[in-house]
Amino acid sequence: MSAPEPTAAPTGVAVRVRGACRVFRSAGEADVVAVDGVDLSIAAGEFVAILGPSGCGKSTLLRMIAGLEPLDAGDLGFGAGGGAPKNALAYVFQDAHLLPWRDVLANVALPLELQGRASGERRDAALRAIAAVGLADAAQRHPAQLSGGMRMRVSLARALVTEPRLLLLDEPFAALDEITRQDLDDQLRALWAATGMTVLFVTHSIAEAAFLAERAVVLTRRPARVVLEHALDLPAQRDAALRGDARFAREMSVLYEALRRGNGKAA
Amino acid sequence: MKPRFVETFVPPAATFLLTTAAAEFGIRAAGVSPLLLPTPSAVARAALQHAPTLLPALAMTAQAVAIGLALSIALGLLVAIALSTSRWVERAFYPYAIFFQIVPIVAIAPLLVIWFGYGMRAVVAAAFIVSVFPVIANSLAGLLSVDPALRDLFRLYGASGFARLWKLSLPWALPNVLTGLRIAAGLAVIGAIVGEFVGGGGLGVVVLEAMRQQRTDLVFAAVLHAAALGLALFAAVNATSHFALRRWHTQETEP
Amino acid sequence: MSRLAASKRAVAIGMAALLAIPACGGEDAATRATAGKVALALNWKPEPEFGGLYEAQRMDAFAKRGITLELTGGPGAPVVQMVEAGKVEFGIAAADEVVLARDRGADIVAVFATYQTNPQGIMVHAARGLHSLADVFAAGGTLAVEPGVAYTKFFEKHYDLTKMKIVPYGYSIAPFLGDPTLAQQVFVTAEPIAARRQGADPQVFLIAESGFNPYAAVVITTGARARAETKRLADFVAALREGWRGYLDDPTLANALMGQLNKEMDADTFRLGAAAQQPLIEDAFAKQSGVGAMSLERWATLGRQLQELGLIGAAPAPRDCFVQVETLQSPPEPLR
Repeated sequence: MSAPEPTAAPTGVAVRVRGACRVFRSAGEADVVAVDGVDLSIAAGEFVAILGPSGCGKSTLLRMIAGLEPLDAGDLGFGAGGGAPKNALAYVFQDAHLLPWRDVLANVALPLELQGRASGERRDAALRAIAAVGLADAAQRHPAQLSGGMRMRVSLARALVTEPRLLLLDEPFAALDEITRQDLDDQLRALWAATGMTVLFVTHSIAEAAFLAERAVVLTRRPARVVLEHALDLPAQRDAALRGDARFAREMSVLYEALRRGNGKAA
Repeated sequence: MKPRFVETFVPPAATFLLTTAAAEFGIRAAGVSPLLLPTPSAVARAALQHAPTLLPALAMTAQAVAIGLALSIALGLLVAIALSTSRWVERAFYPYAIFFQIVPIVAIAPLLVIWFGYGMRAVVAAAFIVSVFPVIANSLAGLLSVDPALRDLFRLYGASGFARLWKLSLPWALPNVLTGLRIAAGLAVIGAIVGEFVGGGGLGVVVLEAMRQQRTDLVFAAVLHAAALGLALFAAVNATSHFALRRWHTQETEP
Repeated sequence: MSRLAASKRAVAIGMAALLAIPACGGEDAATRATAGKVALALNWKPEPEFGGLYEAQRMDAFAKRGITLELTGGPGAPVVQMVEAGKVEFGIAAADEVVLARDRGADIVAVFATYQTNPQGIMVHAARGLHSLADVFAAGGTLAVEPGVAYTKFFEKHYDLTKMKIVPYGYSIAPFLGDPTLAQQVFVTAEPIAARRQGADPQVFLIAESGFNPYAAVVITTGARARAETKRLADFVAALREGWRGYLDDPTLANALMGQLNKEMDADTFRLGAAAQQPLIEDAFAKQSGVGAMSLERWATLGRQLQELGLIGAAPAPRDCFVQVETLQSPPEPLR
């Protein structure tokens, strides 16, 4: 899977989060504060990893940015200010979550279908997206006939089909084996480089955060607050060899340190 | 394909032949009165002899069942969709759907005849009443079990409620709907027969007549015809399910 | 309405009973026999048609003769099957059921025929100005009858029923009350009285008018028992005759007893029913030969008619269908 040619790329959109809070209330039980005053400023076209321990609220934060969860306090701004630009967001879940009754092509075309685009246009865009993730042969297959890694690629293609300006990913490769995972990491970075979209990548894997992102935001355990925002001191071209590099180990330990602090353990 | 066919049909066919043979010899050996328990051969003879009565009766019952089931599917699905729209609606109206489950059809069949008159309409009503609840219950369960992540996905792209229903919830619920249908099919036959006891026509009346005329063998023959109808419907639903859902599941052999 | 539920129950009970019978039948009969107990299965609720039976029980006519009678069954009970299987010693059935059962290979015999004239009829609204069964069928409309009864086939053969829509009778007069052109099967002691009470003006044509007149409310037993236990049978029939004599003379006490058991019928209806059935039970023949007596000629006619209707293969020998039980004119001594 080589990096596709850069197209007339949609520019990524900047995201600004100020004092975001989210509280889950349930009758008869104590309120659960998932996110407790998080500030984030993400530049257009940036690749940011959000790192935190399991259950810390990072998924909730991502969902708030996506508009899937309301903010109980604080505000959220996109681009020059204001709400999310129309049709500019895409979200990749932890599991592929494909429609089992549709083939790959129809699954990938779904977002365009929901947006009311014409069928010819949809088909072309979907085929492009499928090719971009290296699944050109599998367009007629159904999800049940695909491996886990292939299904996740379809999910990725589905997210890319609308040419989003902001791509949100919630631990998308966590369930895959190491080789497939690294493969998809590479592919994701290539797509990001080609499109210039803003990418927010939630993970609990330090290695993945370090490998993928330009900047990492480390969160405390629940309720989530920012422990550290750290620009990764790593080359722009990231390849497999990097993972064995001393620089990589150093960046990883910085993140690890912050994680431990955020988790309430002594340095 | 060939060995599959053998695998599916030989075991039940063999059991059937063995039990029938055992019944035939057992009943004869015990000297049971034909008024009480006829031999399988007597039942078969009655079925053949009375085919001019049984087959048109079967056709009539089958017709009532088909219409009743069609109504159950159509209205049951609509009700399930309506109930799935909000928790309030579900809580407010679901108990009334349960009413269809618990009302004893034997008791209300005479009322159905008073409201719909003698004949096909009352019988269809009975078949419907008895078979609609499984469709509602199972369809509703399916509609409410839609993958939340997929619901989020649809929301993210600004899909309308109708788009979500048509492109996500209904296809998602299809396996549940078919399960409900599987149950509904057998119940519809029962409902139709009970309806016929009061409303007239079909296999129900053949059963009553045969009982009154001390033709126990004919009673069994009629009952078997009704069972065959139920079985045929069940098989039809299974075939539909297999065909509709074949792409959903992981194949044993991957290319 | 409950007869329908009972019919459905009967199908279920019948099926279940059929399968359980070989195991249980013999035992019950044997243990009962030694104790002088007999069980009789009714085919309906306690009503004037069983008046003599309840009166006999009430006045200890059975007890006097060393018989402990247990009444069982009810609407929709598969009486013929119960007798055939030995679950009960006696049962109440229609005469045509006896002939049909014999044709199917069961040795069932009649020992007592309550009604000399069949009390079933067709009820219509008097306002229609009909004068006979022929008129009813010529006028058209809906005819509600129990599915499978022989007399329907008889009507189809001897009248033109093409204008009639034949539907199952659900043992409720509600459809009749609601539909002025509806004709339905009735038992003279019951539905016409109930209809009149509800403000309708019913007119009844007995099915006997057509020439089809089987005995009704017939006491049946197995041929084996009739041949083997002649003394017991004679005692039983004598007690029954005594009971009917008492009921025909004065039905009040037995009616009160039955009214307790059958709350759906009130005292007035019992009284009117008892009166309506009197001439059907004690006609010239019964006066001469005794209540419940039967004749060869009637059984021969019935056999021939059923054969002509195609309901049986060959008519049974009339002699085989019933047992004429001779009883003493004077009752035995009362119990001390």
